[in-house]
Amino acid sequence: MAGKRDRKAFTERNLLIILVVMWVFLAIATGGNFSSWANITNLIRQSSINGVVAIGMTLIIITGGIDLSVGSIVGLSGMVYAIFTSTRGEFQFPTYVGILIALGISALVGLINAVAVHDGKVPAFIATLGMMTLVRGVVMYISSGRMVTGVPTEYRQFAVAEFLGIPALAWTWIVLAAIMIFVLKYTKFGRNLYAIGSNEEAARLSGINIRRNMYSFYIVAAVFSAIAGLMLGTRMAAGVPTGGNGYELDAIASVVIGGASLSGGVGTVLGTAMGALIIQTIRNGGNLLGVDPFIMQIVIGAIIILAVFFDQFVKSRKKGEGMKKLFKRA
Amino acid sequence: MAEEKIVIDLEGINKSFPAVKALDDVSLSVKSGEVRGLVGENGAGKSTLIKIITGAYTKDSGKMIFEGSEITRNSPLISKALGIYAVYQDVMVTPDLSVAENFFLGQQPKIGPFINWRKMYKESKDFLDEIGLDINVHRNIKELSIAESEMITIAKALWQRPKLVIFDEPTAVLTRNETQILFRIIKELKKKGAAIIYISHNLDEVFDICDTVTVLKDGATVGTYLTEELENVDKLIPLMVGRSIEEMYHKKDTEPGKELLRVENLSGDRFENVSFNVKAGEVVGLFGLVGAGRTEIARALFGVDNLKDGRIFVEGSRVSIKNPKDALVNGIGYLPEDRRKQGIFLQQDIDFNINIINFDKAMAGPLINYRKAHIQARDYVDKLSIKIGSIFQKVSELSGGNQQKVIIARWLCKNTDVLIFDEPTVGIDVGTKSEIYKLFGEILASGKGIVLISSYLPELMGMSDRIYVISNGKMAAEVQKKDFSEEHLLTLAMKNLVSKEKIKEAV
Repeated sequence: MAGKRDRKAFTERNLLIILVVMWVFLAIATGGNFSSWANITNLIRQSSINGVVAIGMTLIIITGGIDLSVGSIVGLSGMVYAIFTSTRGEFQFPTYVGILIALGISALVGLINAVAVHDGKVPAFIATLGMMTLVRGVVMYISSGRMVTGVPTEYRQFAVAEFLGIPALAWTWIVLAAIMIFVLKYTKFGRNLYAIGSNEEAARLSGINIRRNMYSFYIVAAVFSAIAGLMLGTRMAAGVPTGGNGYELDAIASVVIGGASLSGGVGTVLGTAMGALIIQTIRNGGNLLGVDPFIMQIVIGAIIILAVFFDQFVKSRKKGEGMKKLFKRA
Repeated sequence: MAEEKIVIDLEGINKSFPAVKALDDVSLSVKSGEVRGLVGENGAGKSTLIKIITGAYTKDSGKMIFEGSEITRNSPLISKALGIYAVYQDVMVTPDLSVAENFFLGQQPKIGPFINWRKMYKESKDFLDEIGLDINVHRNIKELSIAESEMITIAKALWQRPKLVIFDEPTAVLTRNETQILFRIIKELKKKGAAIIYISHNLDEVFDICDTVTVLKDGATVGTYLTEELENVDKLIPLMVGRSIEEMYHKKDTEPGKELLRVENLSGDRFENVSFNVKAGEVVGLFGLVGAGRTEIARALFGVDNLKDGRIFVEGSRVSIKNPKDALVNGIGYLPEDRRKQGIFLQQDIDFNINIINFDKAMAGPLINYRKAHIQARDYVDKLSIKIGSIFQKVSELSGGNQQKVIIARWLCKNTDVLIFDEPTVGIDVGTKSEIYKLFGEILASGKGIVLISSYLPELMGMSDRIYVISNGKMAAEVQKKDFSEEHLLTLAMKNLVSKEKIKEAV
């Protein structure tokens, strides 16, 4: 049993150490500003939207694919909700109907992604790249490129709501992440994900229905992005046509820092959550220290590369070939 | 041979890994023009030794002398520059490039700054003609069959005019014809004065092609023998494992019970009108040349590929199998031919690999009960005596034989009534083979039936109660145990290959 915990938690433990080191450093460097309750809840809230998108991205990356359309789906879902519920619009549906329509349409986008990738054999990168552009076009078209305001009050209030002193947005992320950590570990659906990601042919020969599972993964990823879109909408108090622009990159970065492998079969939702926190910690901490935001961007880019480099290095060292291999490749 | 010079001389090589001593004072010297067999069970140290010769590993101590001078610093690049080439199991060619480009990789002939394509195609074609391979040099490697690309890998090694060539399981994916071509190539190399180290689990081959054979066991040299003096395989196996050949095949004659599976007039893309049945307590062999359609029949029966026509009966009642799930529901299991590509989940642990189709037996409502799942995984690890540290070890850390056992554990745990084993012992050492055969007995004793697909006739004849021979996609005959003989089965397998063109197509 001990062997298992060590192995599986290997990346997670390293990430936790990195987080703690960063937090302690920032707490001291900012004279306690960083570690104030207000800032910590802020940090989690800031991470939450990317965090939710990244959960869905984790699933897709474990299948060995990638989903570039998530950012556009964030925009789509927020916009669809705003259009259907706006008190200045023609529908003026209640909030829950707006949410259902937003999630439903996004799920459909996920399904189309899955059909293209699984049945159409279009590489995930290409299929979702196309979908990213297509969906953004749809968002622009249905909104005429303008913000849609007049969203219901309860929707706007969600952004500032709190429970036990923690923002509702943060709770949304925490709860969804906890559910998915559990689902991936304790259901056949979750185990099938890892099986398909590590060896699709072997999974097929094990009687796993690849099509149905792939459809589910892409739909789940799209629905998580849609939820993130609604979360963003509550903060903006409007449907924003450019909402979610570029979110796919933060999501991918979180997943990769979280220890997932782009070749599939490896990755955890917990790791991804910590990856999302690491990225946001750098932004938040840099902000408090007054670091130039452009410098922050350079740092985050470097961290993405270093995270994977470090992971590869540790893995090859465990195999006993270590440095030699690294330098031979270079 | 005495006057020929020694090409490679290893003296007292030691190599340890964190947990094990892989090589213990191993010495080996091979002369020019000599074909040296290197045999031993998996884990005996063959691969480690090869990796030290090619410089992929560094030795802890000992001397390596190549053509009279000691090699103190070694690396894959250095050994290659010296003229040492290894043809590995894993095909080392670039699949998206043509055969000719693969030969000339990194040394393309040029006219000024531009590549001279005409010269490249012509020289590579001439070379293939010279060694007797009929493969279009314009085609990309990925368009070739596995066997053809293997032959190209071997050809590529020869292309470099090597001084020492190491073959590691070269015939695993080759047909008999191609094996013959390979042997011809090896003899050609021999004539040119190269030294050859030949590793194979197929000991008959070792006797066919090697002058001498070195036996490794648990990282130490047991001895080096002239193949002539050993006479035959029966004398070699005890040296490797301390066990005689009669003990290899454990199949006891059993009284077949009720019919478990019957297929009638199955037709698919590569086969037509195939009928056979399997009874409880019976091993039914499927034999045919490579490409005859054995694997295709198994895949269609298991619901992976589509059936065009035919009926399947499980215990007398007709069933419809459209996907592997249907096959599982109807009690049919399939262990695929290529365990790396089709069987193993390499990044996952042993527990995952065994349980992935067996979580059904360890559920608490919709959730997996890991306590139960771990128990059943451990049960089967013990039952199959798979040598591991813990079930949470990654399967990628296991040897090929143990990986195969993990897949067998997966299926035994699934407990299907009929199990189809497709080439279950390819690339597996003698000891593990024997254990797998022993398991057959246990499966049969519990009232199950086995379909065994194998290209290795001694294994097929040793283990089967009946053999169905498939020739060019059609059922050629059903042969009873008393009529088993290699000649008879091979003749039947070639029955439907009337013209030369067809033979070419099939092999």
